[in-house]
Amino acid sequence: MLFWVIAALLTLGASLAVLLPLATGRRLALSSRDHDLAVYRDQLAELDRDGARGLIKPAEATEARAEIARRILRLDSADQAGDASPGRAPAVARLVATAAVLIVPLVSWGLYSQLGSPDLPSQPLSERLAKNPADSSVDELVARAEAHLAANPSVGRGWDVLAPVYLRMQRFSDAAGAYRNAIRLDGDSAVRQAGLGEAIAGAAGGIVSADAQDAFEAALKLDPANAKASFYLAVALAQEGRGKEAAAAWQAMLARLPPDSPWRSAVGQALAKAASPEVAAGGTNGPDAAAVDAASAMSPADRQAMIGTMVAGLDGKLRQNPRDPEGWMRLVRSYVVLGKTDQARDALGRAISVFGTGSEEARKFTAFAASLGLTATE
Amino acid sequence: MVETGHFALVLAFALSLVQMTVPLFGARLGNQRLMAVGGPVTVAGFVLTALSFAALASAYASSDFSVASVWENSHSLQPLIYKLTGTWGNHEGSMLLWVLILTFFGALVAAFGSNLPATLRANVLAVQGAIGAAFFLFILLTSNPFVRLNPAPIEGRDLNPVLQDLGLAVHPPLLYLGYVGFSICFSFSVAALIEGRIDASWARWVRPWTLLAWMFLTGGIAMGSYWAYYELGWGGFWFWDPVENASFMPWLAGTALLHSAIVMEKRSALKIWTLLLAILTFSLSLLGTFLVRSGVLTSVHAFASDPTRGVFILGILTLFIGGSLALFALRASRLTAGGLFHPISREGALVLNNLFLTTATATVLVGTLYPLALEALTGDKISVGAPFFDLTFGPLMLPLLVLVPFGPLLAWKRGDVFAVAQRLMAAFAIALTAMLVTGLFIDGASVFAALGIGLAVWLVAGALTDLAVKSGVGSVAPAIMFRRFAGLPRSVFGTALAHLGLGLTLLGIVATLSFGTEKILSMRAGDTVELSGHRLRFVGLYPAQGPNYSEDRGRFELIGASGSPVGEISSAKRFFPVRQTMTTESGIKTLGFSQLYISLGDAGKDGSVVVRLWWKPLVTLIWGGGLVMMAGAAMSLMDRRLRVGAPSRRRKQALASAGLP
Amino acid sequence: MTRKQKRLSVIVGGLAFLGAATGLTFYALGQKASYFYMPADLTTASVAPGQRIRLGGLVEKGTVQRGQRATVAFSVTDTHKSVKVTYTGILPDLFREEQGVITEGTFGPDGVFVADSVLAKHDERYMPKEVADGLKEKGVWQESKSE
Repeated sequence: MLFWVIAALLTLGASLAVLLPLATGRRLALSSRDHDLAVYRDQLAELDRDGARGLIKPAEATEARAEIARRILRLDSADQAGDASPGRAPAVARLVATAAVLIVPLVSWGLYSQLGSPDLPSQPLSERLAKNPADSSVDELVARAEAHLAANPSVGRGWDVLAPVYLRMQRFSDAAGAYRNAIRLDGDSAVRQAGLGEAIAGAAGGIVSADAQDAFEAALKLDPANAKASFYLAVALAQEGRGKEAAAAWQAMLARLPPDSPWRSAVGQALAKAASPEVAAGGTNGPDAAAVDAASAMSPADRQAMIGTMVAGLDGKLRQNPRDPEGWMRLVRSYVVLGKTDQARDALGRAISVFGTGSEEARKFTAFAASLGLTATE
Repeated sequence: MVETGHFALVLAFALSLVQMTVPLFGARLGNQRLMAVGGPVTVAGFVLTALSFAALASAYASSDFSVASVWENSHSLQPLIYKLTGTWGNHEGSMLLWVLILTFFGALVAAFGSNLPATLRANVLAVQGAIGAAFFLFILLTSNPFVRLNPAPIEGRDLNPVLQDLGLAVHPPLLYLGYVGFSICFSFSVAALIEGRIDASWARWVRPWTLLAWMFLTGGIAMGSYWAYYELGWGGFWFWDPVENASFMPWLAGTALLHSAIVMEKRSALKIWTLLLAILTFSLSLLGTFLVRSGVLTSVHAFASDPTRGVFILGILTLFIGGSLALFALRASRLTAGGLFHPISREGALVLNNLFLTTATATVLVGTLYPLALEALTGDKISVGAPFFDLTFGPLMLPLLVLVPFGPLLAWKRGDVFAVAQRLMAAFAIALTAMLVTGLFIDGASVFAALGIGLAVWLVAGALTDLAVKSGVGSVAPAIMFRRFAGLPRSVFGTALAHLGLGLTLLGIVATLSFGTEKILSMRAGDTVELSGHRLRFVGLYPAQGPNYSEDRGRFELIGASGSPVGEISSAKRFFPVRQTMTTESGIKTLGFSQLYISLGDAGKDGSVVVRLWWKPLVTLIWGGGLVMMAGAAMSLMDRRLRVGAPSRRRKQALASAGLP
Repeated sequence: MTRKQKRLSVIVGGLAFLGAATGLTFYALGQKASYFYMPADLTTASVAPGQRIRLGGLVEKGTVQRGQRATVAFSVTDTHKSVKVTYTGILPDLFREEQGVITEGTFGPDGVFVADSVLAKHDERYMPKEVADGLKEKGVWQESKSE
């Protein structure tokens, strides 16, 4: 409401700026001729002052004075027109005046109704953060924690708290940063390293890259019983196509895990999945269940061939209907997992070209590919 | 608050539509009331634009991420000062600053122009209104800073470490004050063309505005150059980069305009030329805005693939440059040409100045646009850099610089070049001595160095000679001399200071380029290195933690003659984890006018660090000369005679002293 | 001299001046503008030793060798061909293996490119514009012209 009052007042003020001079119309200025004359007289005065101070020689002064006098004479012979009377207001002028008065509110309200968002209040960050925590969204709570950390960035504890929250919010790169900060400030620990690995893998869309592996290995070195690290290292094996080794690793884990460990179910699921080739094709959005059933009944060579066909099918689909970022990422990942680096790179190039090289998607693709250990060009 | 700013911006656009039409009709119809609308409308437009800008600035200051441009270009963790300067550190905000300055200058004309002839004032304000309307529309349709986001993100996206620098925060406003200041000269020129006559007060108005714009532009360029020098870590001060050229071209043309406006005011000659030059100078300012803002410099193709902004500015450019030049072609013949003069005279010298400066502007223009045109036409990519400009711009500047000291000493209308040469004998002797000393004792190998130093000293000595001659040194008693010196018009000081500053800048450039030394070596803690007589010891590399970065700071000690440290310099490599970027902080130690400059490179595995060291003799004079030039412009602006104040108010006094009826 | 002659001589003088400036400008454009090449272009284009050019591409993986006294040797590649480059000085902060760079300098008689400046200016895609365009032309970034 307040906004509309202000807007109305502003419009009124602006309209008055047009209206008042039209209504009063006092004589404002000298005519051009009088004005020029005043300027020339001023110049003559200046000349005299310069002469008195000895800044110009008398001969030069005389010449200059003659020059100014000539200009004044020229002025007298020049046009006498152009002297306007203030009262004269023919029909055209009245028309222009009316249009001018109308145009201000019309254009401003018309254009603003197209461009503006009058219902949206200002939202300064401090106000949003000062709200009752119960009313705040998780985002705002995190922002508050971030603000606190920004003020005291060397408190490792804060990063330690924030990092898992980031993980849960799927803000993987922030999580990775937070874990790194925690490690830097409060020292290494298996939990932090494993979390870092998970964050890196998460940022890569679930692919356990070399960086992530390093982190998990570091975690295991600090605590050989760290379940998260063992689990993901096995995932890495599976993703490399070494399914048997992965399964063996998971089996070993199951044997070691305490009976109440939350990891048991995850490992169980992973083992169940390892029996099917879905992991190899990457992601849950892979081939449909029937195809998987068919695949599991085949010999490894046939299975490989079938996966190849399905990937080719996805490739073909994307050629026809290219504006599908998820599809592209799945395709690139599939090729990487299949070990067909050249085709993966090719797919990446095409994906980028579809969305334009500078686009948001292209950047995402590049980052995603980099996380798979793939660069656009070698 | 944000929406109030948005509404104020729209309202300012509506007012600019009135401003560009009604006073024009008024002048055409001879209707005082319509003409009178111009003033209040212009002032109101400025107030609304200022309100709009304040709203945007407060959105930035309070990190209101519901505003898209704040979300894209700010971060809640930035210090308040950089939040505020971030307002114009991006495309949308900087365009709003552009129109804010435009309307501010327009309002100044409206407020102080009551003594201008009514029709001239009305036409000037109308042209200003037209420029304003075009840019308001550009902002509202293609670069609206008030686009909102709902729901608002909780954190901004950007925290570019390189942009968080006070030098870069001050640089754009100064540059814009310069660019936009020339719009007033442009408006006066177009108004004169519309009216078909040049009033006597025309030059009196155009000259101070040129001075003002030129002063700010000088400051903006110097600031940008110094920023590049210390921030980029290469030790270079001018790269002939297209962005730099974009600001340098209006400066060159503006310098020419400054000089031709003198002839116009004093001698009523060169009227048409001055008018054309005013149009060209603002056109180059618009071109600069276009080059930087359209994205055409990053890639010709980027411009083609995201056309709205580029095409819009190109449209504005075509409309104003094409329109004003067409008007010039149609109307210039109706203007009365000015008086005649002898080639050897102050006027003649200033014409020569204009010839050199405009040609130099043209070579810079060609060097800047040719690569763009070639890439657009053939796809070939070339870079036109320092070697091109050394070969074209250099030879054009040399004779001009040689002639500079002659100009102010020549008499108007008919000068005596031999008499002037006699007066300059002392300056010439000093310059020759400097040249010989340089050639014989400092650096015999480089002819460039000797000539350059000689030329720079010639300029400085020439400027001082000008002051000495005008206060009568050697011809009158000392007491009278001092009185005369004190009584010299400020514009004489202004001229001398500006020319002196030019000499100092040249001295800095030549000294840095020819006597500067440089060493690249890898150092370990405890190593010492000697550079041009300065001994530096590398103390070591120390890790440190900043607010949002970590750094390796290399500390160096400057060793005095006695062998004990007399000063410390440190240079750092900073790592910003949020953006995963590295920056180099150069270490600079100023000794007199010279500087030691250290830039840190990669650390080797064995604990050694690559270090690049420069000795830059007299380098600060490059920007110091710029400051002196600015001071000269300010001095000229303060000259009473150039004040835009009302001649009518002083008419009584003028009548009395002139003895006219 | 009459007034007419005087005016004529001024105009002729001015034109001669402008003509000289124009000639100089075009001569300088021909001589001093440095062309941009990618390594594969160099097989077709003839670049004389000593001619100043700008060479762009990616820093080939595993080729960066830091020698004595801050001299660095590396190869610039466009995946088709690569060129050996030496540079003495401090590399830009953004210089990394497999990142785009632009080097400026001349070829030595031994076929090694001696750079006096190395730029690793990044746009949002971490690739100098010329290099990105060049790689695109070579089909490294873009397989089909489907756009």
